[in-house]
Amino acid sequence: MTVAHRTPPPSDLRPAPLTLELDGQRFEATVPRAATLLQVLRNDAERHGPKYGCGLGGCGACTVLVDDRVARACVIPAHGVAGRRVTTLDGLGTLDAPHPVQQAFIDAQAAQCGYCTNGMVMATVALLRRNPQPTDHEAREALSHNLCRCGTHVEILQAVQLAAKRMAPHRDAGMAPSPTPVGEGWGEGRTL
Amino acid sequence: MRAAHAPTTRAGFLEATGVLLVVRDPPPPAPPAPGQPPMVPGNPAEGVEILLAVWDDGSATGLAGKVDLGTGIATALGQLVAEELALPFERVRMVLGDTARAPNQGPTIASATLQIAAGPLRQAAAQAGAWVRAQMAVPPPSEHPVEPDYHALLAGRHIRLVLDPSTPLKPSTAWTVAGQSLPRVDIPAKVLGEAAFVHDVAVPGMLHGRVVRPPYAGADHGDFIGRTLRGVDEGSIGHIPGVVAVVREGDFVGVVAEREEQAEAAMRALRLDWGEWPAQPPLDDLAAALSANPATPRVVAEQGDAAAANDSAPLRLTRTYVWPYQMHASIGPSCAVAHWLGPDVGPGADPGDLGAGPSVPRDAHRLRVWAGTQNPHVLRADLALLTGLPDVSIDIVRLEAAGCYGRNGADDVAADAALMSRAVGRPVRVQLTREQEHQWEPKGAAQRMDVDGSVGIDGRLQGWDFSTCYPSNAAPTLALLLTGRVAATAQAYAMGDRTSVPPYQVPNLKVTVNDMPPILRASWLRGVSALPNSFAHESFIDELATARGEDPLAFRLQHLGDVRAAELLRATADKAGWQPRTAPRQRSDDGVILKGQGLAYARYIHSKFPGFGAAWSAWVADVEVNKLTGEVHVSRVVVGHDAGAMVNPAGVTHQVHGNVVQTTSRALQERVEVEPTTGAVASREWGSYPILSFRQVPVIEVVVPPRPGEPILGAGESSSVPGTAAIANAIFDATGVRFRQPPFTPEVVRAALNPLGDATAAAPVVATGSTDRSSPTGLTASHGAEAIVAPGVPSPASGEGRASTVPGDRPTAPIPPSPWADEVPPSAATTLPGAPRTKPLWARAVALVGGTVAALAGLLGWAASRPALAPVAGVHAASTYTAETIERGRQLAALGNCGGCHTDEGGEPYAGGRRLDTPFGTIVSTNLTPDPTHGIGRWSFSAFQRAMREGVSHDGRHLYPAFPYTAFTRMTDADLTALYAYLMQRPAVAHAPPPSELRFPFKLRPLMALWNALHLHPGPLAVAAPVVGGLGLAAATPDRAATIPRPGGIDPTLWQRGEYLVNGPGHCGACHTPRDALGAERTGAAYLTGAVIDGWHAPSLTTAHRHTLPWSEQSLFDYLRRGHSPLHGVAVGPMAQVVSGLADAPDADLRAMAHYLASLQATAPAAALPDHAEITRLAEAAVQRARTLAPLPGATQRLFETACGACHQDGGRAPVDLGLNLPLALNGKLRADTPDNLLRVLLDGIQRPATHEIAFMPGFREALDDRQLAELAVWMRQRFAPDRPAWGDAPALARRVAEVRGTPRVDR
Repeated sequence: MTVAHRTPPPSDLRPAPLTLELDGQRFEATVPRAATLLQVLRNDAERHGPKYGCGLGGCGACTVLVDDRVARACVIPAHGVAGRRVTTLDGLGTLDAPHPVQQAFIDAQAAQCGYCTNGMVMATVALLRRNPQPTDHEAREALSHNLCRCGTHVEILQAVQLAAKRMAPHRDAGMAPSPTPVGEGWGEGRTL
Repeated sequence: MRAAHAPTTRAGFLEATGVLLVVRDPPPPAPPAPGQPPMVPGNPAEGVEILLAVWDDGSATGLAGKVDLGTGIATALGQLVAEELALPFERVRMVLGDTARAPNQGPTIASATLQIAAGPLRQAAAQAGAWVRAQMAVPPPSEHPVEPDYHALLAGRHIRLVLDPSTPLKPSTAWTVAGQSLPRVDIPAKVLGEAAFVHDVAVPGMLHGRVVRPPYAGADHGDFIGRTLRGVDEGSIGHIPGVVAVVREGDFVGVVAEREEQAEAAMRALRLDWGEWPAQPPLDDLAAALSANPATPRVVAEQGDAAAANDSAPLRLTRTYVWPYQMHASIGPSCAVAHWLGPDVGPGADPGDLGAGPSVPRDAHRLRVWAGTQNPHVLRADLALLTGLPDVSIDIVRLEAAGCYGRNGADDVAADAALMSRAVGRPVRVQLTREQEHQWEPKGAAQRMDVDGSVGIDGRLQGWDFSTCYPSNAAPTLALLLTGRVAATAQAYAMGDRTSVPPYQVPNLKVTVNDMPPILRASWLRGVSALPNSFAHESFIDELATARGEDPLAFRLQHLGDVRAAELLRATADKAGWQPRTAPRQRSDDGVILKGQGLAYARYIHSKFPGFGAAWSAWVADVEVNKLTGEVHVSRVVVGHDAGAMVNPAGVTHQVHGNVVQTTSRALQERVEVEPTTGAVASREWGSYPILSFRQVPVIEVVVPPRPGEPILGAGESSSVPGTAAIANAIFDATGVRFRQPPFTPEVVRAALNPLGDATAAAPVVATGSTDRSSPTGLTASHGAEAIVAPGVPSPASGEGRASTVPGDRPTAPIPPSPWADEVPPSAATTLPGAPRTKPLWARAVALVGGTVAALAGLLGWAASRPALAPVAGVHAASTYTAETIERGRQLAALGNCGGCHTDEGGEPYAGGRRLDTPFGTIVSTNLTPDPTHGIGRWSFSAFQRAMREGVSHDGRHLYPAFPYTAFTRMTDADLTALYAYLMQRPAVAHAPPPSELRFPFKLRPLMALWNALHLHPGPLAVAAPVVGGLGLAAATPDRAATIPRPGGIDPTLWQRGEYLVNGPGHCGACHTPRDALGAERTGAAYLTGAVIDGWHAPSLTTAHRHTLPWSEQSLFDYLRRGHSPLHGVAVGPMAQVVSGLADAPDADLRAMAHYLASLQATAPAAALPDHAEITRLAEAAVQRARTLAPLPGATQRLFETACGACHQDGGRAPVDLGLNLPLALNGKLRADTPDNLLRVLLDGIQRPATHEIAFMPGFREALDDRQLAELAVWMRQRFAPDRPAWGDAPALARRVAEVRGTPRVDR
């Protein structure tokens, strides 16, 4: 359809039924075709994890997993992933039963303002699924396009390694995460 | 726990029972401090301020006017309260910033929260603790840790203590809760995805708003501000559903809609008529721009006679340092929710019961704003000014937002939301876009520092004459300016004096601060003016040390009178392994990577001069500088940080880490870009303002001295202050070149290291105007950098250095041979097998006559030049035709993509209505469903067959050849029957598409008879497989084909099937064959050689004009089946839609089409078909070659890497793995003759990928301007298709971008 160059086609704003497999549950809504996955997740599915950061897929604040792959919800038309499996931060774990990556981020105190945290956690979950023991270099590469302005990178990289260590098959204790005291191995250097 | 459910208003606290409150009278207004960040005095009408509530369940609520910006003060203040009250930390909750209940403590700036603002809160807690102990008559808890019975003490009571400012505080040496690295209270919710930010606020009935900002992005003073908008065309968004209001006042424009995507669509579509506005001052020469800005000099420190001392000194240096405009660059664009409440709404009637204080008359309007502000009370005063409401009628509910580090758009958006909510009377959530936040956030100001200093014969500093230009004010809230409520005057603030006095002992000192109004809209950014001032001081002391031939550490220590500073600097240098040096060492193992180490020290002095000292900080930075590329990597930073007593040591460490990363980013790569002709801010997204990535983050080690008993000092900014000088000093140690103007980007460093040649250093680099009167070497490099040749070390600027590196366009690595070398030149002479024949001349002549007659007949009103065919009453296709026939018809409809043209955007399938723009006018596709009135329900098969074969409608009217009957005419009767059967059994849709609108004379349908005579070869003709050029073009029967030899791996049966599908139902030529002036597909050598269709270039499918690798059968099959081939890229635009349609076609048919199309790739008539394995090998070579020839790093490379790199990583895994990350070096769009397809994808992205394997791509239409997109296209061509000629220079390409941008988008 030919449209004026700044005007999205009006029919794009016509609502249409949409189904997602969202965080393990069937999610149904009638939403405009122009709505991004991010908008539908936040405004229709009441998710708070994915954040609007740039709208261009560049910063990673909106990261979700689509069919277990890292995706940027801000550049995906919601109807474009109809019927597919979408995982959000909200669906990973709860305060009582956090995902091991979430627990690692809490234990490493890997957030300052926390606005980028959603993307950092989701990208780490995906990374550890395909590479359970990433090197520091591999972790940096996987997170290279998740931007953090506060400069929490050091703590985030520590959280990645902490999560990897805990999620690795244990000789005796399985996957049970052991709480780590705050400050352990943070590399803050010795005091005078 | 009662503290977790504290009242939401002051009145709620004051009316509560079972509580002990500590209150204070609002402090008297501070003395006026013009030129300082605004403070508003407390309003006595609001009564006492509440600092602390201790509840009868033994929990406590602390209240503070400061807010948590991700620095952890909610945790640290809670620790202090718990400490003084002797409560477990878990029983304390903090309330920060809400104007309806928290005290007014001014803006959260200057790292002053724990150092200064925490005082009253701590005293309140200490006083309450003392009261509790007194009531219990027990000794202090440190001696007898008895848990007080709060219930017995407080139940049913309301006890109010007035703050006693003489209450003693616990010494930090006695802390048990404070001083511990407790985990932050806010992190779990953020990690679990709970609602934690202002962005997450949802209020019942909430609408969504977007603003449309003026074109003068970043300008905030001048008569035109607020007076440039001439008109708003509300009709331009009339088609968008859900729009509730367009709000306009002066230059403020907002749109409000029911849903967020509706508001966003309206924001994009709303047409505004902006008047002229003056271009803003050019910033390409920042040093000059700052000198030219009107200034009021203010001498803040003077002792001795610096000028005379410098005149008489044996060593004197005069240096200029320049700081660029930088951004806060918050990761989340600002957001706010406002709710304008009418007079009939009582405080209890609205959600959350966050009503204003008791002094608000019940019949007044009220306003509540949920905001991420750093200045709640100042924002409230702004909103009062904006709306005319008294301040007590406004609540600011403060919630966390993305980290800010100063003053971003948080207040702006709160005011925007207030205006919009007032207009619609409902709660409105306003989210700024990334582009708006980048363009309009108050910038961290540019700054110019001039230092004239000297060293005496005794080796001691003799004179230091420092002046600084700081063009900034408080950045008045935008809505006040845009509505004209506040005059947009050029106001200067007196904030350039932070850390303006050098920390070194010098007998003759003069410090002059040139207070000046903003150029770009600016405010304070982390470190404020201290960061640039310190960059100058700490670079200059290094320059003096080098000029003296002294070790920079030793030279500093000689002049550093502050014992604590000297101790910290020594310890930091020790930890870093500092090696004394008297000249740049320029260490390198390989001659390419130069290593250096530099240090710097500063103490952040904040607030009104002379201000307060925050924490001490020292840096030692290790850098690696690539001599060839100019890239600087900060590999390690050791930071000494003395913040006195630390309430939460881990929190301090995290702040230091954050400061190091952010400062490294600012030093290496951050600079706001402005549009060269208008001066408007051009950095709208991360690509044009890249911040440090994980790849670049240095190893950070923090050295913290134990300071028990010392006062708490601010730690939020201090460690950022010395960073840039440490990095510059390290680069000097590595290279011998002095850089005085960050950012130290590769192009700047490369140009300075290779002053005699680097053609790629195109980025504008600004000389700092260094007026060097006594340079020890006399060598001055351009680009604000100066080379110093260390004795015995070959300088990169010397002939010897150049000889070894030969800086040029590209690194001199072995380049693999071009895989494109065997590319076939356009072979116009060869007629391709399967190409439609050209009619003999005689036939044309006869047709011309006949056609003219027919045309005349049409003009005379003989409407139908062909007879109408009798209608049928109704076809019961499902009963008439077999399921096999209908299924075959479904596949043919897919192969022919009938639904593509005959389905409107968002419309019912096959119901028509899609508009096709052609040079002859607009054609609207017809309804192909069996509806008897609007569709083909009454068409007989004969009528359908005639339409497909001859382009004549059932009523005898000619159809336009946008309907490709010239191809469909090839379809066999059996296939036409199947297609008919399929269409007739589909559901009927009663939809009447609008008529086509062709221009005269094309609107005369009878003329089509003439056209057909020239161009139509009706009938199902078969074509034989090729043997040699031309032979295969003779019409041949299928049985003859079996006798033809099979050169080059061609399977004749498959080939013939493919030929039929491609040229018949598939009608590939409709897009891929160029057309003549009459709109007919050209024949012969032009067959399938590429054409422009719907603004897209449909590439050549033959060897002519092919600039990609040859297409193998495998690649063609992949492309048709999956929408992509790793050797060619992904299908976009109309081809994406074609591939989507082909989903219903069987593999066998696609295989046949691929087989036939691959035969068109044969370079000679009898040559073998392209071999997939061989092409794959060529592809690998091509990718490697492009990589080897990659241009040197620069601004556009950073733009690509940042804006595109999440999905497009050459040779590595892309961080975003939903999608394919195909090699761009093989992508046809980048290798094409024109940039149009690339530009279309860059502008509008990929919204509807052909298949699920292909991901989505955003369009950069609003984020990048014509110039930026042109530079990106030029760079991508150079990077990924280095063997192809440039598309033109960036200005020419920018014009092309504008054309493509302005032409209609076809995204189906």
